[in-house]
Amino acid sequence: MDFQAIHDRLVAIDAPGLVRAELPREPNKKEKDPGRSGESYVVVDSARMVDFLLACRDDERLDMKLLVDLSAADPAVDDENFWVLIQLLSIEKKHRLSIKAFLPKDNARMPTATAVHRGAQWHERECAEMYGITFEGHPDPRNILLPDDWVGHPMRKDYEFPTEYHGISCE
Amino acid sequence: MGLLENAFEENVLTTKVDWLLNWARLNSIWPMTFGLACCAIEMMAVGAAHHDIDRFGAGAFRATPRQADLMIVAGTVNFKMGERVKRLYDQMPSPKYVIAMGACATGGGPYYKFGYTVMKGVDRIVPVDVYIAGCPPRPEALLEGLMKLQEKIRRTAVVRKPARLA
Repeated sequence: MDFQAIHDRLVAIDAPGLVRAELPREPNKKEKDPGRSGESYVVVDSARMVDFLLACRDDERLDMKLLVDLSAADPAVDDENFWVLIQLLSIEKKHRLSIKAFLPKDNARMPTATAVHRGAQWHERECAEMYGITFEGHPDPRNILLPDDWVGHPMRKDYEFPTEYHGISCE
Repeated sequence: MGLLENAFEENVLTTKVDWLLNWARLNSIWPMTFGLACCAIEMMAVGAAHHDIDRFGAGAFRATPRQADLMIVAGTVNFKMGERVKRLYDQMPSPKYVIAMGACATGGGPYYKFGYTVMKGVDRIVPVDVYIAGCPPRPEALLEGLMKLQEKIRRTAVVRKPARLA
């Protein structure tokens, strides 16, 4: 299925948390629209992400049994949201889907996807330490890359670099 | 060898203790198997047939610090790894030597500005004998570094020189 067919199917099965589809569009000079290039994706309500992933996984025609990636992004310092980006793949049906969810920076919490895709565990641990996002119900919420006593979340745009670590200067 | 020369039978050689010890040391520098990043690939190339670090007696890569004389820090050292590097260095028996291979181990390299977890040079935790420039250095550069280290060892004195007679 292409993106449009997947989106139609999502609407048909009334996928929980589905907000809208975002497609690339041509720039429009009259309306001062810079346009958007890149991939098509669906925007999903972060609080209902687990149900959405479950629907994608268990629907016969979508059949997205593989979570390829779960990452996050901090678009700008003055942006009030983090993005959580998920890539799903159906190996059998040979189609994939990009998902984006917005998480407010002052309350960056969302339920863990590990109950649906166990492979999400390490991805979520990385997002948690790099952005400070809390994945509620995560079975193993330790740091995965950074040392256990690391201060701060390095991938945030407002991250301040450490000056020393365990007595070793970082300058 | 001056007065002692030919004073004994044929199978006896005379030499200086310093020279003998240094000769033995510098021709059997056993490095530790220790690769942290892309520099390790070059280090492996040095160990392989084409460049053949065995020509310098340094081809016996040991998998334990207790049998190694030389630590070739080949790659990016971050803080989490740095503490392990220090511990490995402490476990090596003296005399021990360190080569900082490549830009990262020398001074942080391309991670100098934005590498929040990268140590800006391995010389902040262990004393470095030879620095090798490059990103990564050519195998020849590592051999050059090894030869520099051998020169350094050749200059060391184990036996204390007697005070000069007036």
